[in-house]
Amino acid sequence: MGAEPKLNIPLHVKYIQSLGENKDDLTYHLTAHLRMNAVYWGLTALYIMKNKDALDREEMIEYVMSCWDEQAGGFGAHPDHDAHIHATLSAIQILVMQDALDRVDVDRVTKFILSLQQPSGVFAGDAFGEIDTRFLYIAVQALSLLGRLHELDVEKTVGYIQRCRNFDGGFGAIIGAESHAAQVFVCTAALAILDRLDVIDQETLAWWLSERQLPNGGLNGRPEKLEDVCYSFWVLSALSILKKLNWIDADKLIKFILSAEDLEHGGIADRPGDQPDVFHTQFGVAGLSLLGYPGLEDIDPVYCLPAKITEAKGLRKDWEALPRRV
Amino acid sequence: MSHVSGGDMPGKPPLYCEREDWSDIVPIPQYDGVNPLAPIFYNPEYKDATDYFRGIVKTGELSPRVLELTEKIIRMNPAHYSAWQYRYRTLLAVKAPLDVELRLMDSLAIHFMKTYQVWHHRRLLLTLLTASPSTATTSKPLPDAFDIATSELEFIARVLEEDSKNYHTWSYREWILAHVDDARLWLGELPYVDDLLEADVRNNSAWHHRFFVVFSRGGKRSGASPVEEAEVLQREISFTKDKISLAPNNPSAWNYLRGLLDHTHTSWGKLVVFVLPYTQLQPTTHSSDEVVDLDNPKPPAEAELPCAAALDFLAEAYVREGGEGVQKAVTLWKSLANEHDTIRKKYWEYRIKEALASKLV
Repeated sequence: MGAEPKLNIPLHVKYIQSLGENKDDLTYHLTAHLRMNAVYWGLTALYIMKNKDALDREEMIEYVMSCWDEQAGGFGAHPDHDAHIHATLSAIQILVMQDALDRVDVDRVTKFILSLQQPSGVFAGDAFGEIDTRFLYIAVQALSLLGRLHELDVEKTVGYIQRCRNFDGGFGAIIGAESHAAQVFVCTAALAILDRLDVIDQETLAWWLSERQLPNGGLNGRPEKLEDVCYSFWVLSALSILKKLNWIDADKLIKFILSAEDLEHGGIADRPGDQPDVFHTQFGVAGLSLLGYPGLEDIDPVYCLPAKITEAKGLRKDWEALPRRV
Repeated sequence: MSHVSGGDMPGKPPLYCEREDWSDIVPIPQYDGVNPLAPIFYNPEYKDATDYFRGIVKTGELSPRVLELTEKIIRMNPAHYSAWQYRYRTLLAVKAPLDVELRLMDSLAIHFMKTYQVWHHRRLLLTLLTASPSTATTSKPLPDAFDIATSELEFIARVLEEDSKNYHTWSYREWILAHVDDARLWLGELPYVDDLLEADVRNNSAWHHRFFVVFSRGGKRSGASPVEEAEVLQREISFTKDKISLAPNNPSAWNYLRGLLDHTHTSWGKLVVFVLPYTQLQPTTHSSDEVVDLDNPKPPAEAELPCAAALDFLAEAYVREGGEGVQKAVTLWKSLANEHDTIRKKYWEYRIKEALASKLV
């Protein structure tokens, strides 16, 4: 890569470590509903940057367990928050990465997740009842990690995904909703876990995904929208699952992701010059990993977990990232 | 975070911990134990309200003052999903007038349109309001589902004026059309989409909605005769051609064209005459004695040509013809790979390889 900009791993590690220390920051309290997710994003980014131990393991496990909602049988995003399927998956992913899944009451979590499936096949996020193909994917992945996929009504689940397919080949959040790259990722990854990729027109979908790349190298989520670093994961993961990752221009995308690095404070932003956050840091690093950027761990695009972890659990599906550069 | 104000401004309402009418509730502070990536936060007003919210949840109280408290929290933090959930339960328990709640939600929806809870809460309210009258408590007699939905669609249009591509807002519009499923509502959608595309021909959400209304959900319910269906198809092809001629490098319009042809099993070959001028290096010059072909509007003089989407379309039309068409397609794909769309070089090379391989078989 010569004189090209480089991923500043030590700085990003420091940035993630510092996130828990900023006690006066208003934003943090307002994002309490995403706190468990933030821990998962931070830990995954550290793992991919080969700094898994930069955060204290015991402290993290204790935090996760403090978010357990005894009444519902799932995890909330923060202590005393109601159980939500998104926080529940993040908790499971964290515990899997920390090799502490034995702390979870698998029967109860399985019951909680299955209770959120609707007659149409989609899943709700919580008792409030919002539905979204994201929650469907979350349910499928969580059940898979817990070894309880056999308890899922697969036909009903796959049927809902099929009905979210749009005329342009993409998928939306609910039946009738516009195609969106993040929803394409969740639908494709859910089908991969269920070994049902046969139900989609893979070539048209991969074409739609490759069309997301803009002349500046970045990817957008829908036609005529702005590029954003987080799509580096949504688009690339789906293309990896379809084994068509080389349909985008990797060099240009790497350059775009690195241009969104905050080289003063650490972290990666949605696009150059913006404020970094742990979400875009994680998905920028994950995107770089799929593109074969040197010095990173492999990420599994189906589970958005380190590939070592899913391989060890025997969950690796048939996906292809770009070869690791040296 | 300008919507959160501090607790020391003049004329501020008192905190819950200062209020006599809340003195029976024991506030429960936020957990502050071990907390990686999760610091303790200090904003007196928000802390006070959420401490009392936890206190209320603990006692299980469902009363009018819970509506006041949850509204306050939601205004400070619209993503607080527990506050929304508890608010909805309370509305039902105290039989609060849901039409009043809906009007209250109007201003919140515009302020917080990117928060999905705002839209989900609305969806729950509308589900009750459009069900049989006995299930919803209202302040005045309830209009029928059609009237309610009509005013909802008007409201959504106002929100879309603020952000014409908002994903949650559009999904909500599509949900309500399908949910109420009234022919009169579907009829109004096409002129609405026309207006939006008039304002911004590159609005992909509007193109998506057009397909939803004309072909997918809206199209399914019409029970149109084959003649009517043919007219609709013709109308949509003409409409899309016109829009492409306004902005040839607009992927949304090209995607719509491809989608409607496949959906109606129409041959792509029929569009070749229209598409060809968009694949040329220069706009075709209009000589004065030339008869203008209204069915096939040409690219404007200032258009950036050739248009990659047109080359892609033409190649697709050729390859579907088979025979000689395959070679013509390969030539076009080569021009895309090497010159006109080099960022997707690998995709075009894949198409060439696949087409040549299937030709040999």
